Amino acid sequence: MNATCSEQHRTACGVGGLFTALAIERCLPIMHCGPGCFGNVSATLGSMNGGQSGETYLGSVIPSTNFCEDDVVFGGTERLRKLIGECEKYYDADMFFIVDGCTAEIVGDDIGEAASEWAGSEKPVLYASLPGFKGNNVRGHEQVLSAIAEQYLKPARGTDPKQVNIFGVVPFFDPMWAGSLDALEELLTRMGLKPNIIYGRERGVANVDKIPAAGFNLVIAPWTDLSLAERLKEMFGTPYLHFDNLPIGPTETARFIRSVVDYADLDRGVAEDYIKREEDRFYYYMRRSYPWIFSCKNFPRKFIVNAASAAAVSVVRFAVNDLGLIPSRVYITDGTPKEHEDMISEQLRRVDYDEDFDVIFTEDGGLFEESIKNEDFSIRKICVFGSAWDLVPAKKYKLTFVSVAAPYGDRMVGSRTYFGYEGALRFCEDLYANAADNIVDPGI
Amino acid sequence: MAVDLNWKTIPAREQRLGSITGYDGTLSDMATQGCKGCLRDKRRDFQTASSCAHHHMINQLAGLRDVAVVDHAPTGCIGSQVFFSSGRAKTEPPPGAPPMENVRIMSSGIDESDTIFGAAEKLKNAVRAAYVRHKPREIYIATSCVSAVIGEDAESVAAEMSEELGVPVVPATGGEGLRSKIWASGFDAYCHAASVARLKDEIRAEHKKPAISYVGFAPMGRRHIEPLFKRIGLDLICLTAAASIEDFKRAAESAATWGQCGAQSSYLCSVLEKEFGVRYFQSHLPYGGVGFERFFLDIARFVGREEDGRRVIEEEKAKYLPKIDKIKRRLEGKTALIAMGASFAYEYTRILGELGMKVLHTVAYHYDPKLDNLRPEERVAAATDVFELKLDVPTSVNDAQQQETNLLTKKYKPDIVLSRAHEAGVFAQLQGIPAMDAEIGLIVMGYRGLYRVAVLLEEAFLMNNLVKKFGERYVSPFSALYENTEPFQFYREEAI
Ligand code: SF4
Repeated sequence: MNATCSEQHRTACGVGGLFTALAIERCLPIMHCGPGCFGNVSATLGSMNGGQSGETYLGSVIPSTNFCEDDVVFGGTERLRKLIGECEKYYDADMFFIVDGCTAEIVGDDIGEAASEWAGSEKPVLYASLPGFKGNNVRGHEQVLSAIAEQYLKPARGTDPKQVNIFGVVPFFDPMWAGSLDALEELLTRMGLKPNIIYGRERGVANVDKIPAAGFNLVIAPWTDLSLAERLKEMFGTPYLHFDNLPIGPTETARFIRSVVDYADLDRGVAEDYIKREEDRFYYYMRRSYPWIFSCKNFPRKFIVNAASAAAVSVVRFAVNDLGLIPSRVYITDGTPKEHEDMISEQLRRVDYDEDFDVIFTEDGGLFEESIKNEDFSIRKICVFGSAWDLVPAKKYKLTFVSVAAPYGDRMVGSRTYFGYEGALRFCEDLYANAADNIVDPGI
Repeated sequence: MAVDLNWKTIPAREQRLGSITGYDGTLSDMATQGCKGCLRDKRRDFQTASSCAHHHMINQLAGLRDVAVVDHAPTGCIGSQVFFSSGRAKTEPPPGAPPMENVRIMSSGIDESDTIFGAAEKLKNAVRAAYVRHKPREIYIATSCVSAVIGEDAESVAAEMSEELGVPVVPATGGEGLRSKIWASGFDAYCHAASVARLKDEIRAEHKKPAISYVGFAPMGRRHIEPLFKRIGLDLICLTAAASIEDFKRAAESAATWGQCGAQSSYLCSVLEKEFGVRYFQSHLPYGGVGFERFFLDIARFVGREEDGRRVIEEEKAKYLPKIDKIKRRLEGKTALIAMGASFAYEYTRILGELGMKVLHTVAYHYDPKLDNLRPEERVAAATDVFELKLDVPTSVNDAQQQETNLLTKKYKPDIVLSRAHEAGVFAQLQGIPAMDAEIGLIVMGYRGLYRVAVLLEEAFLMNNLVKKFGERYVSPFSALYENTEPFQFYREEAI
């Protein structure tokens, strides 16, 4: 029986790409979608993903044509045109981003044509077609960025060698994107760069405008935004540095800093001083807690990851290289394109550990829950690094659990990040607190 | 048009009940027009994202015990079910049942080529996979916007799979997001599919069991309500999340039924009434003191236990009224704007009146001029209040169009905004206006429920430091032009 299951998805549909537009301050998405498409993407990317929502624009004020049966018959572009006009008048925005979903796409509504009527208007009107049947929110994110590159960016008058655009992090989808980008910005500034980030507070369209003027682009992710970096290289000649994960903890953070410093020819002394100081600080706090950690004999040592590729690579590197945990298997749930699978597998295995472990690419988030049904935890338990979906089985079997990816869960994420040295301590706090909570089990 | 278990696809609320999503005027006018059958809908040119029937159909179906739901759609259409799964997993299981787990919702994963070549094989495989993995006692196939537009035949796949797997595989259609502007149409589609699966082949019992069935989202609050029904000789059966197949069968033998509200429950209650002779009480909902007394006496009389019913009411009153009165002094004279789903909007309008508050305007997310009535004398609860209690309030109907509600908030300047989901309350608080997200269902039933509402309201007024600070920093997402428009200027009238 050729039966493939697909449940507990850890991505939203393509329309979820509108959250990338929403992450650009004062950029208003305009939806040419069914009435529920926003709701269908907003839990995995918003409310259930660390209690996030739009800040300039709450979900409930995002305009939509609410595509209906009549539109299937008559087409919905006329109503879309009208709505764009209303939006220009009635919202306070710097940029408009039209997105469409499945139904509009199937009946052949042309959102590009609708947008073109506003070409040359004071506030840019961009568009991207994001139907769920073409892919998930990570694809949607890439479409939105590609639309910005193709429809909006103009060559800069000059470049600033110190300016670096930061790509790779998928805003909202990565539940800790806001805190991570703030921390990354601070770190790169210390190293002597001028980081340019388009998502988050007080950045907005002005930073989008600056993209072509960068000395280089940094893609800090296993694979997302690599195609954008390639395209920007073609368009503006901007070179890029690919660092394969958003680093957590001393080993990867130091490697990251050194890569950037070498690449951009920055002051090595400043970097090494910083690394030394931060590493000392990290181990100071670890040593302070280690007698307690050590005494908790039942803290699990093996772990399973069930998460998006970005979270998986970051967590595996830190858990193995710095915490000395043992990888059991890794499920990659973000629909990583086939052509990148080998690269991700290789990235995951590039750790200080000689044994092999399974890497499984699947959009079936329930595979993990299914796999542990018959596992024997009576001698030894494991850690689970996943999302809200995994919390339920983790609780059932009293497994140590840390949420690392969308849907992060119904808890406030705030400015929390696992990035860097400080973030690594946050991770340890979460990990060992949860391990301690689940340590006593009559089953043992 | 009432209910019909032979429908392949249940007609949307707009067609079945004449329900609307656009109105401005007064409750008494709307209710009167509704009862006469001449209520006209209004559409709007300028609108924001709303909510979808498909989403609600699936979360209700998947909440049931021992089921798997296969969504015949792109995977993204079930992207938000984690919200319900996580909430469900946290709720207390019914007595004797194992802890609640993740919902079992699979996707057939319609992709681009399927939109051209069809996806029946994919659907079959998804159904098989759901069966192999979860061994459900029944499987629902949910149709979606995409499967509807490309013309997929879920019906025949369901029949084939039933045969192959030996468990009921039931199509759940009619909840496609593009079919209805009213997300409650998804509740109807759930009620219809669950009834077809669980009740269609049941034999009508000649003698009813002394029990009453409650149709609602969740059984929260059950432990407080169950003893009250016991006093008039009735067991309580909850057809809510976690309801088993057996619960449905027991419900078919119960004497009476009622629903948490007209939106979620009317179709299933009406099936119980029409097919099994279970009396559906729909005109009086049991919220607040007034609501509870009318409702509970209706039931007590029906089962011939009026005296016991009166005694229960007196005892509940004695227990809670003094406490309520104490808080009432602090609430008296305060003004409110309400924005909620169809039934609760007007339930709370009456409840706030009971607590001495004045409702300046009520927004309902849709309005049903009638429910799936089998007896013409039964009116929707809001209309009953208009005729029985002379309840009236300036009112409007919008499908969670918070930009409209926001203009009303500015116009009426209420002391508090009472909302339920869909962000009307958040929107108010960010502008410095106190707000509260109200509860619904068994938890707010009766005098205990009224006391709970009073306590929550008291707290909502008592402290608003954060709200005030939000207000000082508020930046409107709208232009000055919009902020100065009149509410309802985007409406245009349409024949139903
Ligand atoms: S998959 Fe298509 S119909 Fe479903 S939510 Fe996404 S865009 Fe809407």
